[in-house]
Amino acid sequence: MNIIVLVKQVPNTTNIKLDPKTGNLIREGLESIMNPDDLHALEAAVKIKDKTGGKVMAVSMGPPQAVDVLTQAMGMGADKAFLLSDRAFSGADTWATSYTLSKGIEKIKDYDLIICGHQAIDGDTAQIGPQVADWLDIAQATYVNDIESVDENEIVVKRRLEHGFERLACKMPVLLTVISELNEPRYPHMEQLISACEQKAPIKVWNAADIGVKTIEVGLEGSNTHVIKTFTPNFKRQNELLEGSNKEVVSDLIDRLKKSDTTIAYRL
Amino acid sequence: MTQPNKSRSGKIRSNAEDMVRFTMANFVDKEIIPVATEYDNKGEFPQHLFKKLGKMGVFGIRYPKKAGGSGGNTTLYCIAMQELARGLLSLAATTAMQCLMATNGLYLYGTKKMHEEFLYPALKGDKMGAFQLTEPNAGSDLSAVRTKAEKTRDGYVINGMKTWSTSGPKADFHTVLCQTDPSIGLRGLAFFLVPASTPGFSYSKPFDLLGTRTSAISEIYFKDCHVPVEYRLGKEGRGLGVLLKILSEIRIMTASLALGLHRAAMDDAIRYCKEREQFGKPISKYQLIQAKIANMAVNLEAGQLMVDKVTHMIDQGKECLNLASMAKYFTVESTCSACDEAMRIFGGYAYSMEYSVQRYYRDNRFLLSGGGTHEVLQTTIAREILSR
Ligand SMILES: Cc1cc2nc3c(=O)[nH]c(=O)nc-3n(C[C@H](O)[C@H](O)[C@H](O)COP(=O)(O)OP(=O)(O)OC[C@H]3O[C@@H](n4cnc5c(N)ncnc54)[C@H](O)[C@@H]3O)c2cc1C
Ligand SMILES: Cc1cc2nc3c(=O)[nH]c(=O)nc-3n(C[C@H](O)[C@H](O)[C@H](O)COP(=O)(O)OP(=O)(O)OC[C@H]3O[C@@H](n4cnc5c(N)ncnc54)[C@H](O)[C@@H]3O)c2cc1C
Repeated sequence: MNIIVLVKQVPNTTNIKLDPKTGNLIREGLESIMNPDDLHALEAAVKIKDKTGGKVMAVSMGPPQAVDVLTQAMGMGADKAFLLSDRAFSGADTWATSYTLSKGIEKIKDYDLIICGHQAIDGDTAQIGPQVADWLDIAQATYVNDIESVDENEIVVKRRLEHGFERLACKMPVLLTVISELNEPRYPHMEQLISACEQKAPIKVWNAADIGVKTIEVGLEGSNTHVIKTFTPNFKRQNELLEGSNKEVVSDLIDRLKKSDTTIAYRL
Repeated sequence: MTQPNKSRSGKIRSNAEDMVRFTMANFVDKEIIPVATEYDNKGEFPQHLFKKLGKMGVFGIRYPKKAGGSGGNTTLYCIAMQELARGLLSLAATTAMQCLMATNGLYLYGTKKMHEEFLYPALKGDKMGAFQLTEPNAGSDLSAVRTKAEKTRDGYVINGMKTWSTSGPKADFHTVLCQTDPSIGLRGLAFFLVPASTPGFSYSKPFDLLGTRTSAISEIYFKDCHVPVEYRLGKEGRGLGVLLKILSEIRIMTASLALGLHRAAMDDAIRYCKEREQFGKPISKYQLIQAKIANMAVNLEAGQLMVDKVTHMIDQGKECLNLASMAKYFTVESTCSACDEAMRIFGGYAYSMEYSVQRYYRDNRFLLSGGGTHEVLQTTIAREILSR
C-alpha cells in the first residue's frame, strides 16, 4: 500500500510573541519544527507500511528550508519525499495551499491512502486535509484517533466527536486527518536520518511548472482570503470577591450574571 | 540552521550535522532532562532511555551500514554526545562507550559469528558492552597491567582483576586489556573479549560515587576464564596499537561530553540569573554576574571550535592526537570552571539537591580522569611540541 503524508514546517510556537505594533508573529529566534499533529500522521503511515508493505511518501509545500521536515520524515521511515517549492506559492491561504498540494499528489499519482495532521499550530484552521480530499475527489475521515484495521481495500477508523466517537469503514483511496491521541510518534532513526542527508538524497523539489499549475492559481494570487490584520485580543480579567453566606453569594452572582450580557456555556 | 544544499538534478538535502543535533536535542529535552535529577538522586541507571537510544540507531552512529551501523562518522558521533551530556552525563558516558571503546575492537577484529552474537545486538541496544583498562596498580601507567592472558591449546585463560569498570555489573561483554607476557611490559599487551557469562567472571558491589551516580561502576574479576582464540581482538603485543587507533577519538569524545555539560551549566545559569532578583533587579544586571556568563560563553565557543576541528580531521583520516589532547584538556578545564561559576550564580540554592547545577558540579570531576588525566595530557602535549 502506498501512503502519502502531508507535513508542514512551522515555527515552534510554545512561547511565541506577537509584535505589539504590527500584530505579526515575531519569527526571529524561533526555531522551525515539524507540525506536531503531522508527527502522528507519519507514525500512523509507517506503522501501516510495516504491516502491509508499500511506500510512505512525505509531501510538503514550503521554502527550501522546509527540506528539514522532510528529512525528519525520512528519518522516521518515509521512503521518498517531495518538496513543492516556488516563489509563486508564497502567501497562499488554505484554498491555494490545498490546491497546490493536490496537484503535487496528482503528479505522484500512485497512492491508496493520504494521512495528514488534523491542524497546523501556526494556522489552526484544520482545513487543508478536507480541502485536499475535495480537490482530489476522494473520501475523507477527520479527527481520527484510532485505526482499527487496514487492508488494500478498506480502512476502519474511529473519529473523535464532541460527545463520543464514530466508527467508519472507508474504501480506498481515502484521506485521514489525525489527532495526537492516535499514537506515540517514534524518534528518527540515525541511519535513515543520515541517509536522507547524503549526496544521493531522495528528496525531490517540484516548482509550479513541474506540477502544472499557473501562478494565478497559487500563492497570494490564487488565494480567496487575505489577512488584513492580526492582533492579540485584549481581554482584561476582573476579579471580584463576593461576600456573605453561600446562599447569598450564589443569588448575588446569578443576579449579576443576568444583568450583564454574559453567555453562560455549560456541558452535560 | 544552515541553508540546505540544492543540486541541479532538482534534488535537495539537509545538513546531517544540523539534523543529528536537532534530533538528539529534542530527545534530550523531552526524555532525559525531565527525569535526570530524579535518576541521579536515586543512583539508578535509566535503562529504558539506553534502550530507546539503541532503537534510534545512536550506538551505531560511527559504524558503516554494512557493519550494522548507521553510516555516520566521528563528527556526528560527537554531536550526539554533546547533546546527550547536556541531559545526563552518566547516560552520555555509557552511550559513548557503547558506540566506541566497548565495540570497536569487536568491530575491527571480531569474526562474523562474534558480530552476530555481540556487535549487532549491542548496536541495537539489546546487549551492553564495557571497556577495561584500569587496575588498582595501573591507572595512567598501562605498562603496569597485570591481568594475565595465558595461551592454551585452543585459546586463552584469563586471570586477574580490573577496577573502575563502568557498567561492570551490567555489561553483557567486556573488552579487556590483558598482559600475555609481563616481562616485556607494554609490548605484551593485548585486548580480549570476555562475555559476562564466562565461568569464572564476577564483579564487586557498585562503588558509592561522588558524580555520574547513575553509572554502575565496580571491580571485575577473572578466575580461570577460558576464551577461544578468536576472542583475542588484534594481535598479541598490539594492545597499545589497538588503543592508539581510537585514542584521538576517545579524547575528542570526552571533550564533547565536556561541551554538553558546559552548555547545561550555562543554560541553567542564564535562566536563573534573569529570574533571580536582589537589590531590586535581576542579578543578570550586575557586571560581576555578566563577567561569569561572558567567560562561560567564550570558553564554550572556543572549545566547540577545537572539537569541530578535530572531529573533521579524524573524519578526513588526518593524524591529530595532540590536538585532540589539547581539546580534551581545554574543554574539561573550562567546563569545571563553568560549573563552579554556575554554582556561584545560584547562590545558596546551588547547595540544594533540588537544582541540577549541583549535579553538573559533581559530574564534571569524572571528565578529569576519563580520557587521560590532565597532568599526563599536559606532559604529552608539551613533549610533542618540544620535540618538533
Ligand atoms: C567515573 C569513572 C569511570 C571510569 N570508568 C572506567 C572504565 O570504564 N574503564 C577503565 O578502564 N577505567 C575507568 N576509569 C578509570 C580512569 O580511566 C582512571 O581513573 C584514569 O586512567 C587515571 O588513573 P588513576 O585513577 O589510577 O590515577 P593515577 O594514574 O594513579 O593518577 C593519580 C594522579 O597522579 C597523576 N599522575 C600519574 N602519572 C603521572 C605522570 N607521569 N606525571 C604527572 N602526573 C602523573 C595523575 O594525573 C593524577 O593526578 C574510570 C574513572 C572514573 C572516575
Ligand atoms: C549550607 C547553607 C547554610 C545556610 N544557613 C543559613 C542560616 O543559618 N541562616 C540564614 O539566614 N541563611 C543561611 N544560608 C543562606 C545564605 O546566607 C545565603 O545563601 C546567602 O546570603 C546568599 O543569598 P542567596 O543564596 O539568596 O543568593 P543571592 O543573593 O540570590 O545571590 C545569587 C548570586 O547573585 C550574586 N549577587 C547578588 N547581588 C549582587 C550584586 N549586587 N552584585 C553582584 N552580584 C550579586 C551573588 O553573589 C550570587 O552569585 C545558608 C546557605 C547555605 C548554602
